[in-house]
Amino acid sequence: MTVPLGAFIAVSAVLFFLGAGGVLVRRNAVVILMCVELMLNASNLALVAFSRRAGQLGAGNPLDQRGSVFVVFVLVIAAAEVAVGLAIILAAYRNRPTVNVDELHEMKG
Amino acid sequence: MFDILEPLLFALFALGIIGAGVCVVVLRRITAQALLMALTFACMAGMFLLLGAETIALFQVLIYVGAITILILFGVMFTRQDDRGYGLFFQRQSPWAAALTLVIALPVAFLAFSFKDPSTPSPKGGDLTPLAGSLFTDYAFPFEIASVLLLAALVGAIVLVKRDEQ
Repeated sequence: MTVPLGAFIAVSAVLFFLGAGGVLVRRNAVVILMCVELMLNASNLALVAFSRRAGQLGAGNPLDQRGSVFVVFVLVIAAAEVAVGLAIILAAYRNRPTVNVDELHEMKG
Repeated sequence: MFDILEPLLFALFALGIIGAGVCVVVLRRITAQALLMALTFACMAGMFLLLGAETIALFQVLIYVGAITILILFGVMFTRQDDRGYGLFFQRQSPWAAALTLVIALPVAFLAFSFKDPSTPSPKGGDLTPLAGSLFTDYAFPFEIASVLLLAALVGAIVLVKRDEQ
């Protein structure tokens, strides 16, 4: 008895929409960054799950690691994104000591 | 016995991921949110193990649970957050901590004491060998691009937070 693919995809989808909801609802910049990380992680789970299933079904080389390779690149992008994102939050914080994104409205038309 | 183990572990990890994810979105205590985000990432590493992607699970623990959580916690530390109870965050829940440690320690102790050395080690190298082969042959160019991107992010982060000496 193994866990069906759909269960993994369901967890991934739930986590992705949790993250998306958090990005849209929360006003704290650091929390928004956390929610973006949750979304990236959810996409990683979907990639790995589909990649495994493609290997099991014989729809290609069982040693095909395309999904895992994409996950490695997502990890790299996530690390770069957090580093630059936090640097931007800190730079903005130095100008105006708040992390509330509603109060950072200098560029509002 | 192992037939039931996999769905059981899946249920546990799914509960951890979704429960901690909901808390990250809903809670108002930023330190707790950051640590619960780490719990989500750890449960996700367990999911990757269930899917047989051991190397990805290792990267997940190293990069997400280790590096990104620490970065976020530094971000929390360097910025002023909303007023909140600063009480003793860790010391107030000693009973809970003891119970949780016990729950984790008992299965580990059971496994450790019932461990028998297999006479022949398993020859499988997990998914590391095909992953590395794929990454350094078919995807060598994107890999180099990713390293340049990381370097750019490193330099950019330093430039952004550097104070002007004047």
